[in-house]
Amino acid sequence: MSMDIEVLEDSRHHRYVLNMGPQHPSTHGVLRVLLELEGEYAMELLPVLGYGHRCHEKIAEFKPAKSFMPNTARMDYLGALIYNQGFAQLLEKAAGIEVPERVEYIRVMASELNRIQSHLLWYGAYLLDLGAFTPIMYAFDDREHILDILEDVTGSRLTYCYFRVGGVSKDIDDKFVTSTRAFIDRLRSRFPMYEDLVNGNVILQKRLIDVGELTPHICARYGITGPMLRGTGVAYDLRRAEPYSIYSEFDFEIPTETKGDCMASFLVRFREMEQSLRIIEQALDRLPEGPIMAAKVPKKLKIPAGDYNSSVEAPRGELSYYLVSDGSDVPYRLKVRTPSYSNLSVVPEMCQGMLLSDVVSAMGSLDLVIPEIDR
Amino acid sequence: MDINKVKKQWQELSTAVEDIDYAVSGYDYSVCLERDKVRDFAAMMLDEGFYLVDLMAVHVTPAIEVVYQFAHFETRCRVMARAFVDDQVEISTISDIYQGANWHERETRDFHGVVFVGHPYLEPLILAEEDVDLKPLLKEEAKLQDVDAVRRQPPEPAPEPKAKPEPKPEAKPEAVKSQEQS
Repeated sequence: MSMDIEVLEDSRHHRYVLNMGPQHPSTHGVLRVLLELEGEYAMELLPVLGYGHRCHEKIAEFKPAKSFMPNTARMDYLGALIYNQGFAQLLEKAAGIEVPERVEYIRVMASELNRIQSHLLWYGAYLLDLGAFTPIMYAFDDREHILDILEDVTGSRLTYCYFRVGGVSKDIDDKFVTSTRAFIDRLRSRFPMYEDLVNGNVILQKRLIDVGELTPHICARYGITGPMLRGTGVAYDLRRAEPYSIYSEFDFEIPTETKGDCMASFLVRFREMEQSLRIIEQALDRLPEGPIMAAKVPKKLKIPAGDYNSSVEAPRGELSYYLVSDGSDVPYRLKVRTPSYSNLSVVPEMCQGMLLSDVVSAMGSLDLVIPEIDR
Repeated sequence: MDINKVKKQWQELSTAVEDIDYAVSGYDYSVCLERDKVRDFAAMMLDEGFYLVDLMAVHVTPAIEVVYQFAHFETRCRVMARAFVDDQVEISTISDIYQGANWHERETRDFHGVVFVGHPYLEPLILAEEDVDLKPLLKEEAKLQDVDAVRRQPPEPAPEPKAKPEPKPEAKPEAVKSQEQS
């Protein structure tokens, strides 16, 4: 992947521009990348964004803040509940609403199920990018169980709008508890199989090790967070660094690797699923009884003038909502900082001089969700 | 990172450093900058190991405000730095210090028309090329607020009386009724 290639004066070795996307399968959405190639090496890369821009920030300035909740789910369709969490938390902080304990437990469990679901999809789709067709079938088989569990409580399978300001829309029942416990056992029993089948595979190792290396300094310059950052050895996870909700009450580890290459972030994501299972398990054991909605949530939620920030750990890294209020119930300005946006911006530096096939490995390791970049 | 040392550096570079209540606002410090100090500030933050979380603009009077958000990997220290653009709606780029700012600045140029002087490639990013003059997040005259109107209001710091305005109108008619009855 290094840049030691001899540039020949021969006319057969001139540079040319290749358009990858916007409909390329390995960009996982409508992302276009202009590649300036020299033979099979990508010398310059220029991502072109905006094909999926839906003006979410503009929409937010035209309606009461509470009714923006469904929009959050449509930014990151794989981490919808965590986007719900960030936004609910933002308004609760701003308006001083206390959330009942049971709600926090339900939110944590639903969010962590959502995180596993996102990682499973990444696992299957990434390996598909790398030419392994079978793993996606296994991953989707497991993922289906989560979708069924969440469908029962939230009513939808992908773009959840389950959290409300001050609570959740529907209480969980015994079926949720039993099926979640069954799922935890099932997924745990599948991990050794995944490891045997995939993680030790020679082809996978050759495609991932030493490809797309990052350092903590590069991450700071680009604002890279999430599993990519943890792959460089920095144990930075907002669930631990700025504990929101009730994450400080759970015992879980933050998996890290040191090398910062694609293999490192691959392993970090893989191990994170186990940690999410641990959190869900502890939450199920301690699940308290109680109301699922805060006592007094005004119909018209006026947000005191000022600015508010709410940051949560989404499956791909740090998600921040920044809200500026002029005292009315409609946000004056809402900015959503999405993790994939910053993570993708490193691609021109990370992939410079790479083989084209390694560019696919490196971009896949970002776990891109394009709608959250374009918003 | 030594927070006291960092704070001293902020004070040298900025016009005001304010401690913020994390429990309510979700960040720790607010730093107001003169626009010519933005690059020095960014360089100093990178030296101290801060990463760039976000960069955005807020349309207020007297001028558009550019907000830089920084945080730290090791300790909780979330900082909002603010600077106003000049009459030409211009401010210096920090994209050579924090490369992650490159796209944020292009996006801010799309949405608010802020020109980042020294940016290597200030072309539309999120919007289409033909919408280069659209600037969709600029406020219309009627909705535009003064910068003081979107700052925390010191006289009424408790958010709760503001958060529940409903009980008041209910209470009043009842009181009136009981007076009439008596």
